[in-house]
Amino acid sequence: MNMLTMLLKSLLHRSVTVRFPARPPVSQNYRGLVLLDPALCSGCSMCAFRCTSRAITFRATKTEYKWSYDPGQCTFCGRCAERCESHALSMEQACPPVYLASGGLKCSYTMQRNPPAPKPAAVLLPAAETLGANPAAGGTQ
Amino acid sequence: MNLWKRLMCYSRRHSPWLFHMNSGSCNGCDIELIASISPRYDAEQLGVCLQGSPRHADILCISGPVTRNSVQAIQTVYGQVCEPKVVVALGSCPASTNVFIDSRTIEGPLNKHIPVDVFVPGCPPRPDAILQGVAQAADILAQRRAKKPAAQEEQA
Amino acid sequence: MNLTNALARLLLFPGLLFAVPAAWFFLWTERKAVAVMQQRVGPPFMQPFFDFIKLMGKTVPRRSGSAGLLMKALPLIALASSAGAVGLLPVLPASGGFAGDLILLLALLEVPSMCMIAAGFASRSIFGEIGSAREAVMSISYNVVFLLAIVSIAASQHSFRLETLAQLPSSPLRWLGVLAILVCLPAKLHLNPFSVPNAEQEIYAGPFTEYAGHELAMWDLAHGLEWVASTGLVATLLAPHVQIWWLSAGSFVAISFAVVLLLSVVATWTARLNIDSTVRFYWRCTLVFAVLATSFALLLRLRS
Repeated sequence: MNMLTMLLKSLLHRSVTVRFPARPPVSQNYRGLVLLDPALCSGCSMCAFRCTSRAITFRATKTEYKWSYDPGQCTFCGRCAERCESHALSMEQACPPVYLASGGLKCSYTMQRNPPAPKPAAVLLPAAETLGANPAAGGTQ
Repeated sequence: MNLWKRLMCYSRRHSPWLFHMNSGSCNGCDIELIASISPRYDAEQLGVCLQGSPRHADILCISGPVTRNSVQAIQTVYGQVCEPKVVVALGSCPASTNVFIDSRTIEGPLNKHIPVDVFVPGCPPRPDAILQGVAQAADILAQRRAKKPAAQEEQA
Repeated sequence: MNLTNALARLLLFPGLLFAVPAAWFFLWTERKAVAVMQQRVGPPFMQPFFDFIKLMGKTVPRRSGSAGLLMKALPLIALASSAGAVGLLPVLPASGGFAGDLILLLALLEVPSMCMIAAGFASRSIFGEIGSAREAVMSISYNVVFLLAIVSIAASQHSFRLETLAQLPSSPLRWLGVLAILVCLPAKLHLNPFSVPNAEQEIYAGPFTEYAGHELAMWDLAHGLEWVASTGLVATLLAPHVQIWWLSAGSFVAISFAVVLLLSVVATWTARLNIDSTVRFYWRCTLVFAVLATSFALLLRLRS
């Protein structure tokens, strides 16, 4: 009888349906598409190393590196963004869109490597400091 | 004739019947597909009906990276769906084999075997994303015309 | 009943012109009622019509041989007989009829279910075989109660004319008969808890697994007309006897609609039983009441 009263009561309530094309909001910390900020990327390629499904590929030369991402291959685990030290990667807080052609939504960025920092000039230390350290007695650690 | 064609397009858009097939999936996408016919998302508001037989359906929803054992089944069922038909790949497994890339028992993405029209990305995709994919597939179906019966496979 | 009258009843009211939209309306009502009770939105109003048109536009695989011929013919036979059954219902007062048209109505109501059984076997699909076997077993179970109830009502009135049944005095026998018919209707219309032959996902689509396109559209339409005819039979027994034609037609439609809603509530409330439980239910529980109704009718005859 419980079931019958439940069914008849729902005749009085409105439906709980989300009417198409409206969509319910995604939860907090939802893992959607991986987004790269090219300005912050340092080219360490840890994301390509950690990627579980080879969705992120990384090609590098001496002067530039290319980061590509295929959402069709992605499993949205979040391992790449979790350990990006330069915080260049983030996961979009929205559902990935539907696409019609295979390989749609693929994206890639080509970034230039920063030129290497100039080496600092050699500095001569004053003589008093080198005498202070006595290697036979263990010296300074 | 024009009126009949317009009526037929409109009817196809508003009556997409699905047949779901699992080609080796972990069942995550299957669960989300069933969730999309639950009261909160209610696929029936679009006229979607999950059918029991591929002959009754217009839209073939396939989940799973295509395992070696399921290739024959996929091709048979694709042949059994009557024209006009649309294929929807649910999740990232049929789009690209996802985490099973280079596995010995996986026969590649789905579009190696049958033509795929709509890809719904996600692992698993949310039920509302699946509904968006099905609505897109219904739009494609409305524009498609049925091929001549000579090209259709004869019943065994 | 002359030819023009018969044709009008078959083609206009309550024949095809009324029955086909009524069938679609009842099919929509059932789906919408189930949806509302499950707190969903459900399909839009014209959904069964769109389904029908879409199915007409699908290509059907070529089938050869006698099986192919049977598969093409069986849906048409089912459609024709259920349309004929609807046409026989005495909706309007003094619409004529002939002695024994109740027997014809019951026979025509049986034909779609027999076509369904033949369809499963003709399609040479294993799922079709299982579905047809289940439908056959269920048919011999509920038909005993169904036919006994109706025949006992008719016998108590000394007549097998539908018109006489439409003007039944209210008696316990009439209510017993209507109750027996209502208990058999879910099985006849393949609704929960007796939706055994078309157990989706369990045996694919049962007897109709191999049907496609316009054949499937015919089966769906025949099913809808079965709805109209069966609920119309209950409405015939229950409707009050009025002479004004539009009141009579209106009360017929209203009572049929109420029966559709009742069946939808029962369908949402219960789950599908398996074939053993179904057969046991009809042969053990309901048969007692059918026997009671028959004995009551015999007693009434002996007294009158």
